[in-house]
Amino acid sequence: MPRVLTTCIYCGCGCGLYLISDGKRLTGAYPSRNHPVSRGALCVKGWNSYEFSNDLNRLTAPLIKKDGKFIPASWDETLGLVVEKFKHYKNTFGPDSLAFLSSAKTTNEENFLMMKLARAVFKTNNIDHCARLCHASTVVGLSLAFGGGAMTNSINEFKDAEVILVTGSDTTAQHPLIGSRIINTVKDKGAKLIVIDPREIQLAKYATIYAQPKCGTDVAWINGLIYVIIAEDLHDKKFIEERTEGFLELKRTVRDYTPELVEEITTIPKEKIIEIARLYAKARKSMIVYSMGITQHTTGVDNVLSLANLAMVTGHIGFASTGVNPLRGQNNVQGSCDVGALPDVYSGYQSLVDGDIRKKFEQGWRVEGLPPKAGLTVTEIISAAGEGRIKGLYIMGENPIISDPDSNHVRKCLSEVEFLVVQDIFLSDTAEYADVVLPSASFAEKDGTFTNTERRVERIRKVIDPPGQAKADWQILSEVARRMGYKGMDYKHPSEIMDEIASLTPIYGGITYDRLGPYGLQWPCPTKDHPGTSVLHKEKFTKGKGTFMPRPYIPPAESTDEEYNFVLTTGRVYWHWHTRTMTNRTSTLEREAPEPYVEINCEDAEDLQIRDDQLIKVSSRRGAITLKVRVGHKVAKGTLFIPFHYREAAANILTILAVDPIAKIPEYKVCAVKVEKI
Amino acid sequence: MRGKGGKDMKASKVKIIGKKKIKDLLREASQEWNVYVPQKWSDGDVWMDQLPKDKQMLDEALEDVVLEDVDTVISPKDIFFPQLESIFKFKDDKIWETPEFSPKLIFGVQPCDLKGILFSDDFYRRNFEDRYYVSRIQNRLIVARGCLRPPRPTCFCSSAKTGPFAEDGFDLQLVDFGDSYFVEVGTREGEEFITMHKKFFSEPDGNYDMTIKEIKTKACDSLELKVDFQNALSLMAQDSFIPEENYRRIGERCIYCGGCLYVCPTCTCFNVFDNVKDKEGERVRNWDACVFEGYTRETSGHNPRKDKWLRTARRYEHKLKFDYKVTGLSGCIACGRCLSSCPVGIGISKFIQEITEKRKIM
Ligand code: SF4
Ligand code: SF4
Repeated sequence: MPRVLTTCIYCGCGCGLYLISDGKRLTGAYPSRNHPVSRGALCVKGWNSYEFSNDLNRLTAPLIKKDGKFIPASWDETLGLVVEKFKHYKNTFGPDSLAFLSSAKTTNEENFLMMKLARAVFKTNNIDHCARLCHASTVVGLSLAFGGGAMTNSINEFKDAEVILVTGSDTTAQHPLIGSRIINTVKDKGAKLIVIDPREIQLAKYATIYAQPKCGTDVAWINGLIYVIIAEDLHDKKFIEERTEGFLELKRTVRDYTPELVEEITTIPKEKIIEIARLYAKARKSMIVYSMGITQHTTGVDNVLSLANLAMVTGHIGFASTGVNPLRGQNNVQGSCDVGALPDVYSGYQSLVDGDIRKKFEQGWRVEGLPPKAGLTVTEIISAAGEGRIKGLYIMGENPIISDPDSNHVRKCLSEVEFLVVQDIFLSDTAEYADVVLPSASFAEKDGTFTNTERRVERIRKVIDPPGQAKADWQILSEVARRMGYKGMDYKHPSEIMDEIASLTPIYGGITYDRLGPYGLQWPCPTKDHPGTSVLHKEKFTKGKGTFMPRPYIPPAESTDEEYNFVLTTGRVYWHWHTRTMTNRTSTLEREAPEPYVEINCEDAEDLQIRDDQLIKVSSRRGAITLKVRVGHKVAKGTLFIPFHYREAAANILTILAVDPIAKIPEYKVCAVKVEKI
Repeated sequence: MRGKGGKDMKASKVKIIGKKKIKDLLREASQEWNVYVPQKWSDGDVWMDQLPKDKQMLDEALEDVVLEDVDTVISPKDIFFPQLESIFKFKDDKIWETPEFSPKLIFGVQPCDLKGILFSDDFYRRNFEDRYYVSRIQNRLIVARGCLRPPRPTCFCSSAKTGPFAEDGFDLQLVDFGDSYFVEVGTREGEEFITMHKKFFSEPDGNYDMTIKEIKTKACDSLELKVDFQNALSLMAQDSFIPEENYRRIGERCIYCGGCLYVCPTCTCFNVFDNVKDKEGERVRNWDACVFEGYTRETSGHNPRKDKWLRTARRYEHKLKFDYKVTGLSGCIACGRCLSSCPVGIGISKFIQEITEKRKIM
């Protein structure tokens, strides 16, 4: 087949695109005209998504490390070794000496199998993935407030919004096909845009009000908005009365957050706070959009809960073009959470503490004794590996050396873990530390589904064969299970895995490959005749009444001092994807952004006598990197921004391993650094 | 307008073919040609794809052939200029080229796209000959199909006189007439094709000339989007007429996806890179776009078009000013694709409206 409709591998927008092939490799990628997200358009990453998987330096054979060198080996020998080691650790040190890192880049089916492998076969709940690092706070926060940790509304509702509040999301860069909708709504239909972000992002140019808070002060300004809304009687009393609980507590908490105090904490002028509160509250259709600027904090859950409070206090939720809309970053980070690649829940966010649920899965999987205690999270797993508590670590499609906070710590841990398995399409920085490397298939080389940020379960389709001996992740995981003597993981096709997911997961209950068609279905989709759901919490919240959970402002974990006098915040650029393993093999993307850089405010640059493009050293208490400077107005005085993509100057060498107490998400968005000329 | 290189333009003749016979014609033609024809996918997307050679697959594909209201995201330019193609391969000290020169019948080409193809043909042979492109087009027959209605709401060909019917440049052109098509013959090759497959064609009756004229006029009137194209070309020809502010505003809105250039029938830029492992590899080229910063960045790091708006300006100037100066033809053939594939609603038709009507619409 020369042309196949599939789903983009990059961001959570989930654009529908066609991959073209000459039978051996990919030769193009075109947008679908009729797909509800792409509608004839793609961003630059989608347009160029055909290139990386052709790279001749793909992993094509299993590798076993012998005397510090990788030697190609057969699947039989390699998987034999993996199973022997894992069996040994399990029997000698117990199941919790093993851990599994799944991947939001892989399919729903593969994430489901990874967690099934961990739980049903190895009997451990030590399974987690990079959602921990991006939207763990959302999953926890929105579940507490509404009963469901996902985008409440849908992508095509932006066009009818009257007010859009964007915070902590560089939307045009990270979710381009959503960012573009916001621009169109504002420019062509007169909607009002509020942007609240420590960086003056592209969307700020279209904002009716742009506010630049100090990094890590989100709870303060959100409480400040609610203060004004209540003080000016702009809250939706009927909605609060009928659909929520805990309003009095909210009122009590926010009463301290006067615009004056908020200005002091956040540096947002008090007039702006009042203006934003009025603009957001008075419109009927106001949407909140947020992303990692909100979640990646030690107060990540507090931030999310506060945004939920803001939406509920104004009744801006439960109907089209409103709601609280976390934009999920990875192509399938929504799905990998949905299908339970998390340490405390099975698929569909079903708690493993609940005995009935455990029994259901035991029956479904024909096993006994599923472990009842929640497992470790990503950062805990890495540390435990370093301390020797985790002996065998299985990483599928993740690159924690570049993506996790405090890289030097991660490196040390991974070099100390007894047995490391890495399954990937390229020999990543993380794979260098592996004892065994397993070559897997790219998104163009297998069937499956991704779930985009608006909960749309969409097909990906096989276009070409994987290179050499590489295999789809689901096939490799099944083979490991089979070798462990488990009979419940033999599948001929991923559609059978989806059938199993549907049978065990109420929100995916009605999903089958036959029903997905070209554009997929949005969950909740509980039954085979259910059309899917575009707006959540319509008549009532998933959990019944929405709960106000007011939080006080708590400062970030690390504050600046005389020595480390700059705040560093990290993020991404439009042209690259995460640890750059795919985009640096894409000529157009790599050419646009070939080098790491640090953004600095003009005034600071002048004070320090630093020119544009000059190399400087940035260091934190954890490490130092050297990179070029970009002088401008994007960040405020006293703040630096570094994209985390580049191994050549990995921003995560500087970041701090301080996590949110509940969600365990690291504080990538704030740490203290200093700048030195070299 | 220049004829297609090497082909004789002959006085127009007209034949007629029943619509029902098109499938059989294509089946027969595919024995000799690689046939490219618009096919509809189950999701409604339409692509100009090659018909399979396998008999059963061919029968299935023929069921999906569509010739009316065809809106392909990409023009047929990718048949001659694929998004990614091999230039040569190498291993150890051996190098070999992999040129493509199969016989191609492109069936159902829209008139605007035909203009785009001719424009690119000319471009790739103007100063130096691009052998990879030229080898792909050397054995090619184009059957155009006029549009009774604009397939895209963004079409504005009637304003640029590039459609909805072609005046020349085709080998054959189909004119939709109820159950059948009139077939206008444009070249000797077209005529030979008809002779080869004569059982499918017959002579039209009566005053068909008038009928065809009426059909074309009606088609022209069906285009709702009208812009003052000629005026735009002459305004652009006056240096520094367009206020910088226009370009800045558009450049600011742009999210730099490159889509408008990828879909443009007359965009011909490519980048070249090597895919190498050890001593084996391939030199490939793939679509490039002038909106990218790296497109004009010099080795020193200096970039004459560093600011986004300068790159925006370059695009419009290239299409509407420099191409016109160099070739006497506009580089935009008014297909409307750039607008219909732009995530933020930027399109050259809107730009033309802005400068000729002196208002802001983007
Ligand atoms: S917006 Fe996201 S899903 Fe769409 S093409 Fe770009 S990266 Fe892919
Ligand atoms: S500039 Fe736009 S309208 Fe003109 S030919 Fe190119 S894509 Fe078509």
